[in-house]
Amino acid sequence: MIADNRFGYMDHARQALGLIATPFHWLADTPVRVGNSLSELLVSRTDLLEENARLREELLLSRQRLLLAESLSVENNRLLALQNASALLEQEVLPAEIINVSPNPYSRRFLISKGSRDGVFVGQAVLEANGLIGQVVQVMPFTSWVLIITDSSHVTPVEVSRNGERALARGSQDDDTELDLEFVLPTQDIEVGDTLISSGMGLVYPKNYPVAEVISVRRSPDQSYATIKARPMARVSSTRHVMLVLDAGNPGYAAVVEEAAAAADEESSLAAVDSPN
Amino acid sequence: MAGLVRFNSLIVSSFIVTGLLAIVPMPQWAMYYRPEWVALVVIYWVINNPERVGIGVAWVVGIIVDALTGSLFGLHALGLALVAYLALRLRLRLRLFSVSRQASVVLVIVGLQLLLIQWLQFLFDLPRGTSMMFLAPAITSALLWPLAWVLLGGIVRSLDLN
Repeated sequence: MIADNRFGYMDHARQALGLIATPFHWLADTPVRVGNSLSELLVSRTDLLEENARLREELLLSRQRLLLAESLSVENNRLLALQNASALLEQEVLPAEIINVSPNPYSRRFLISKGSRDGVFVGQAVLEANGLIGQVVQVMPFTSWVLIITDSSHVTPVEVSRNGERALARGSQDDDTELDLEFVLPTQDIEVGDTLISSGMGLVYPKNYPVAEVISVRRSPDQSYATIKARPMARVSSTRHVMLVLDAGNPGYAAVVEEAAAAADEESSLAAVDSPN
Repeated sequence: MAGLVRFNSLIVSSFIVTGLLAIVPMPQWAMYYRPEWVALVVIYWVINNPERVGIGVAWVVGIIVDALTGSLFGLHALGLALVAYLALRLRLRLRLFSVSRQASVVLVIVGLQLLLIQWLQFLFDLPRGTSMMFLAPAITSALLWPLAWVLLGGIVRSLDLN
């Protein structure tokens, strides 16, 4: 039976049982939700005003940055067009909420409140306000499991934003809040404080999203690779809101689109059969 | 008849509560010590009511736990089936033991379950601990066994089901 599962014969059973699991997860999440709404109820007026002022300020700053970014992206697209490169498409996102974390302390995963009913697909990239947080690994009708980039079985292709040096960031074996950069030669130019962004290789993650910041670099002559540690930009353990990226470059997305097109075809052929009557 | 229905609903609701306890969010450090609630309840029912809860029921409950935790299908099912089998074999002796001696047997049974799960995780190359920490839940489960024994026994007696 487990062997069956290995080869994916159990996907349908998994979907059905996922449906049973949904109310359990909803219930388990209730204390957190009640706590949140209570603290929302009990917040004072001055606090609200303060927060409002702070958010206004942040919005203003973000607007200003957005203006700059827009003009830059327009210019970038123009230059890319000049080079005949494929233009960067605007990416849409789908907001989702984290409703549970994996009870297995050795695997870093969380459950989000969107599933196949909302068009989530396996391999979809998941973002947090500050950077990449993980990818979807299992989809159920109303919920899906997301593997976090700090899981020791997860590797993120990254590049240094300063100079474009590429590397692979694997979740650390011993510290679940860190990433290890693998197979970096001692001569490669990566330094403490460098920002790592997604390189778009591997086709899972969209290009140019911040992933992590390098926190330590050790080059010792007796090892063929440098030991580099990085800390994720995303607030992996304190956030509740994430975004799912609808990236046209993702192979999982292509499959979903194909399926939708096939369904539409079927419908239209049905309609064609219906219409003569 | 009504008593039977009530008894079955008590068993089902005990599994629902333990299922919730198995997935309720905890701080990262506490997760290493999360007791195997489901295994405790399976052992309790197998010792006291083997005609209602046996290896088959334990297996089905395990499948649901797998669905809840998003782990490989059959992992907890096999683990809990092993727990039910061991408890079934030792059941007559366990009934005569004092609660503290029962707890030491529970330590071994839950430890064997964790060991089986660890082996399967190794076999299928799933994320797992590399230290002996994976056995920590066996200790917390054994420590909580008296609580489970008294609590479930109290509920059964207060509902006057046996």
